[in-house]
Amino acid sequence: MDMNTENVDGITVALPAGRLDFGAAGPFQQQLEQAVAAKPRGLIVDCSSLDYVSSAGLRVFLVAARAAKAAGIGFAVSSMKPAVKEVFDLTGFGNVITLCADRAAAVTALA
Amino acid sequence: MVTLVEELVLLAIEDDGSVAYTAGAPGFGMAVIGAALVELNQLGRVDADTQALRVLSKEPTGAAALDRVLAELAAQEELPVDQAVRALFIHAPEVVRLALAALAARKILHFEEKRFLWVLKSRRYPITDGREQKEAKLRILHSLLGDELPTPHDSALIGLAAAGGLLEAFLSTAEIARLEKRLEDIGGLDLIARGVESAIQDENAERAKAAMLPPY
Repeated sequence: MDMNTENVDGITVALPAGRLDFGAAGPFQQQLEQAVAAKPRGLIVDCSSLDYVSSAGLRVFLVAARAAKAAGIGFAVSSMKPAVKEVFDLTGFGNVITLCADRAAAVTALA
Repeated sequence: MVTLVEELVLLAIEDDGSVAYTAGAPGFGMAVIGAALVELNQLGRVDADTQALRVLSKEPTGAAALDRVLAELAAQEELPVDQAVRALFIHAPEVVRLALAALAARKILHFEEKRFLWVLKSRRYPITDGREQKEAKLRILHSLLGDELPTPHDSALIGLAAAGGLLEAFLSTAEIARLEKRLEDIGGLDLIARGVESAIQDENAERAKAAMLPPY
C-alpha cells in the first residue's frame, strides 16, 4: 500500500492507495501518527484510491482518530469506494468518526 | 499482561470463584472464540474482511488458548467470520480451560475443588486479588460512561462482553438498557467482534426456532 500526503489550508490530507490489510496496517498507522504529531489543523484520510480494508486495517482508523482527538485535531475520512464503505458501515464507524462523501465535504466538516 | 480471552474469562468469574457462564452457552463460548480471533488478528496470524476470515500464518503465538484456536482454524475451510466462529464454538470449553490454566500459572486465580455431599464435585476459581478483573470492568465502564473513543482492544472487549452477555455480571439490566446507544456505537468497531455478535444472534435464533418445533 502506498500513501501520499497533501496539505490543504493547514489540514493534512492522507491518501492511502491499494490494499490496507495486516501487512500494510503497521506502516499506515505510523504515517498517520506522524501526521498527528505534526499538529495540523485537521487530518483527513482520503480513501478515493483505497481498494480494500481488512479488520487489521480498519483498526488503524480507530487508533488515528483517538490520537487526533487526544491532540485536539479534527479527524475525518472521505471518498470511500463501495467496498471500503461497506466495512465502515458494517462496523458503525460513522457513529463515532466523521465520514464524508468527498474531500471537500470533509474540509468543510473540519472547518 | 492479561489477554483479551483471559479478560473475558475473568469477567465470567463471580466473587465466590464460580464461573457464571458455561463455555457451552453460545454467548459466552462464541465471545471467547471471538476474543481469540481478535488477538490472532492483532498478532498477524489471521485477517478478516466482509467475505472471509483468513489464516496468514500458522506459527504458534506461545499462548495455548490462542494456538488451539489457530490450529483448528487452519484445519477448516475458509469461512466468513460469523460462520468460522460457529464452527469453532465446539472448542470453546477447551479454550476457556486453557485460559484458566494460564491465569492460574500467573497466580491471578487458583483452582479449588470441593465435594458436595461427599459425591458431587464442584470446581471454583477464586481470584487472588481481583486487580485484573477490576481493571477490565473499570475500563469497560470508563469507555461506556465517557465520550472518548476506546482503544481497539477495549472496543473489542466491550463488543464481545456485550454479545456474550457478560456485562450482566456487573451492570443491571436497566443500566445496560440506558447505555444501549453507546454500546452500539463503540462495541461494534471491530470487524471480528461484529461477526461474533452476528454468529451469536444466528445461533440463538436457530435454537429458539428449534425449541418451537413440535416434538414429532
